[in-house]
Amino acid sequence: MARPIKNLTVDASSRPEKATPHQITSSCSQMERDTTPQPNQLVGEEKKPIPDITLRPLELSDVEDLMKWKSDDRVMRFTTRQACTTKDEALDCIESFIMPHPWFRAICIEDRPVGSLAFRPAPGDEKHRAWLGYSLAYDYWGRGITTAAVKKAVAAIFKEWPHLERVEAVADVDNRRSQRVLEKAGFQREAVLRKFVVIEDKVRDVVMYSFLSTDPLVE
Amino acid sequence: MEQGMTTEENEKATRQISLRPFVLSDVDDFMVWASDDKVSKFCSWDTYTNKDDLLKYMKETVLPHPWFRAICVGGRPVGAISVILGSGNDRCRGELGYVLGSGYWGKGIVTAAVRLVVASIFMEVEGLERVEALVDVTNKASQRVLEKVGFHKEGVLRKY
Repeated sequence: MARPIKNLTVDASSRPEKATPHQITSSCSQMERDTTPQPNQLVGEEKKPIPDITLRPLELSDVEDLMKWKSDDRVMRFTTRQACTTKDEALDCIESFIMPHPWFRAICIEDRPVGSLAFRPAPGDEKHRAWLGYSLAYDYWGRGITTAAVKKAVAAIFKEWPHLERVEAVADVDNRRSQRVLEKAGFQREAVLRKFVVIEDKVRDVVMYSFLSTDPLVE
Repeated sequence: MEQGMTTEENEKATRQISLRPFVLSDVDDFMVWASDDKVSKFCSWDTYTNKDDLLKYMKETVLPHPWFRAICVGGRPVGAISVILGSGNDRCRGELGYVLGSGYWGKGIVTAAVRLVVASIFMEVEGLERVEALVDVTNKASQRVLEKVGFHKEGVLRKY
């Protein structure tokens, strides 16, 4: 028989209202078709190297950097997270949502946060499953940064959470950039989930991706 | 299990069944399927061995639930059907679950119950646009129920 799954809503939120369980991945980079040389124009066109990225916890002192993407509608529009338009909102987000979060990391270039990435275990007894979400400041799109961060993070999370078997992520059907991030990081596309989530009062279809502990990590 | 049922048989099943909220005095009927390993096999809960545990579950989960119904044949509960409704960003979707005493399998009862739910829940719940159900890949009978009612198979979620 179909199994009644417990309610998926999650309690932690940067705002008083409940967070969606699936942090919809934001509009992130991978505009490689812009930077990758076409076969007939190899000369003089070199792909920019991906900068060294590190993942670390976010601190209160990172609030100004956090605001750069949290206040940007171009970044936030595909997510279910609330934008932070003031410093107070951003500080509140750090204290009440980010700090207590089970696994939240700033994506850093030269130790400065340019985005974030998080894993949340599925609720109830479903500890074998976790949700992935990420965001990147608009100015950093198109350079492979998010893909590099996701690859690093996925490798790390399966080591840190040995009971974990499945990481899943959803991306808006129109968010091709974010879908490309997941595909390049080795996620498998499983399904289009129709009318899955409400973003700014519109009901959206999403694509579900997963990465299993047994799937090959992508270098 | 329900293969080869004629339209007439389907209609008969639909006429036979009704949905209603549970009351605590249903506990003995509830126990019939809740204590059955064949039934709990694909469910997220463990077989009940103790009536007090079941009463607790009924008091804490079933009775206060926004959408949990007994599937009744001749007015007696023979199974249950529920929809867990989302809130906030998830308010457009609800998750369907159902369970039926094994003695009643193969008669189109769950199919009829799911049809009743799908026919009414979108009008009852404002903002609901999607009812979804998750079924074990090996539970073909349950998959058949959903296909017959007109659910779309969207994909397989691995190691879910």
